[in-house]
Amino acid sequence: MTAKRQFEIASYVLFIALILVLPAFLGEFWLNRIAKYLVFGMLGVAICLSWGYAGILNLGQGLFFGLGAYLMAMSLKLASNTSMQQGSDTPIPDFMFWNAEPGAKPDLCCITKTSFLWIPFQSQWVGLVMAVAVPTVAAAALGAVIFKKRIAGVFISIITLALVLLARLLVIDGQPLTNGFNGLTDLGSFTLGDFSFDSYGKPTYYVVATALALVLVGTRLLVETRAGLVLQAVRDDANRARYLGFDVPNYQVFFFAVSAAIAGLAGLLYVNVAEFASPTFLDLSFSITMVVWAAVGGRNSLLGACIGAILINMAEAGMSETQSLVESWRAIIGLIFILVVLFLPRGLAGLADDALGALLGRRRGRSVAASEPDAVHASSKGGL
Amino acid sequence: MVDVILIGLSLGSILLLIALGLAITYGAMGVINMAHGDLVMVGAYTTVMAGIWLHLGFLASIPLAFVVTAAIGLAIEKLIVRHLYGRLLDTLLATWGVAILLQQAVRLEFGASFFGRHVEGLGSGLQKVDVPTWMTGSARLLGTDVNLYRTFIIGVTLILAAVTWFIMYRLPIGTQVRAIMRNPKMAAACGIDVERVNAMTFAYGSGLAGVAGVMMSGFKTVFPDMGTPLVVDGFLVVVVGGVGSLFGAVAASGLLGQINGVVAAATNDTLARAVIFAVVIAIIVLKPRGLFSYKGR
Repeated sequence: MTAKRQFEIASYVLFIALILVLPAFLGEFWLNRIAKYLVFGMLGVAICLSWGYAGILNLGQGLFFGLGAYLMAMSLKLASNTSMQQGSDTPIPDFMFWNAEPGAKPDLCCITKTSFLWIPFQSQWVGLVMAVAVPTVAAAALGAVIFKKRIAGVFISIITLALVLLARLLVIDGQPLTNGFNGLTDLGSFTLGDFSFDSYGKPTYYVVATALALVLVGTRLLVETRAGLVLQAVRDDANRARYLGFDVPNYQVFFFAVSAAIAGLAGLLYVNVAEFASPTFLDLSFSITMVVWAAVGGRNSLLGACIGAILINMAEAGMSETQSLVESWRAIIGLIFILVVLFLPRGLAGLADDALGALLGRRRGRSVAASEPDAVHASSKGGL
Repeated sequence: MVDVILIGLSLGSILLLIALGLAITYGAMGVINMAHGDLVMVGAYTTVMAGIWLHLGFLASIPLAFVVTAAIGLAIEKLIVRHLYGRLLDTLLATWGVAILLQQAVRLEFGASFFGRHVEGLGSGLQKVDVPTWMTGSARLLGTDVNLYRTFIIGVTLILAAVTWFIMYRLPIGTQVRAIMRNPKMAAACGIDVERVNAMTFAYGSGLAGVAGVMMSGFKTVFPDMGTPLVVDGFLVVVVGGVGSLFGAVAASGLLGQINGVVAAATNDTLARAVIFAVVIAIIVLKPRGLFSYKGR
């Protein structure tokens, strides 16, 4: 086992141990906040998988996060007290009453035109399963179209970008079904038997931390399987992989779907921690911000991207609460993005890698160019 | 019907003004400039500020906005983009940072208050700029009332598109730009000063964004966050039209503008935008290289 490998395993173990022991030191308020950052860390992992390993820059990852969040939130909305006590046979979300036509039957079947879509979500398990399943299936279907058509590079980015904005408009326009701009608020808690997961409670934090640990270890093992290696070959040169006889689209679709599943899981967890789902999850800026987290942490390192997301969110929160920076923290974040892209193309993980290399007295020969697949340039510049 | 077509045309014209700059920088240099929409915003603010501080009219703001945004564009190229040629997706991320900076700079300066400073007549959401009175009315054409301001926008766009075409296809500098588009290394080997030409190209594209901003300020509210949806629209036009194709940009902006105008007239604005996104996705899926991509090697 090489020293680099040992260092890598040690950093995973250290990170997972750290997030699991935090509840011993922090109060509920901070645990709730850290849990949100861990969810964003999970999004960093999802981006790293699709961007760093598959070479697919998805500018619409928020779509999968948002889907997961909304589907979970629908179930929790129906489980909230306000929905239960509307004096109807089935729980009805309060906003459906506000949006209903006068004289509409107060039942999920027909209070508004499309409200029947909510019926299955009376079971919180439906919401839980759908929150991961729907993004996965959607990504697989989308990926099947995109990758079989050999759409690559920036064109994928544009499609995903248009898709997330399309979804955002539909959610906002579908006021009677989705509560439009306001999103789904006033949610109930997920309940297991007699136990209810309070968003500020330690059990909720442990669920999030454990999920992140599993996702990290799972993806790390996944990219080391044969499929993961083929995927990296596809990223570096799709045509060469094709000539070697690999069914390139299948690998891309699979990893695209895994990335979406992780994002959906993140959405599910976020709703349990933050207790709302909103169209802002589908904003373009949120999706691009995720990519920047991964870039800052290190696009080629799953753990790096995860830590990058957590650090930036902590920095943002810290700065936005510092009196002297209240007006300018956003500008500072923008500046950090620029500086990282210019001077740290491999992100913090690259920095750690270099430091380790120096420590071991060996120079790692990985150039900047290697961090971005050539195939992306070639295909995105109109075949120049 | 004529008025709907005209609305579509004017929407398409604004789209084209925004997309022209993007098409040049993306097509010629392989730079995705996410700050382009914010340069439009700067152009719009230039119009507002020129009116308040310099008492300049709407028309005089057009060259002023061009110069201001071209200068900012030049600075962006020299400071940031220059280091990122050949790293397409990195230019996207870095210029996203620039976009945040520009938005925040405007917000700091012109927002309600910053260090107790307050700029008169400005807030985070501004009124639209007054256009000259002779432009506000309408004229009768082919039996329908035609909005003069919309016609003016179409005219300005036509002129700028023609100028751009002339520069790109009739002047030596255009030949150099197109040589760099095809093969930057070969162009450099032929003695073209690639750095200088790239900087000028970027500045010109940014200047066009500024002019688009002046046009926007005439009929939309000016506010710090107005840039992001604009850069998205610009990109959709460039990609649908085919990267590196000026004609593609013209055709795509016309098409998308018309679709937007017609759907908005029939239903509402939100749905019109949704239809645009759906159409764009469909076009990319069917023609992954855009409608009018030129044949590469």
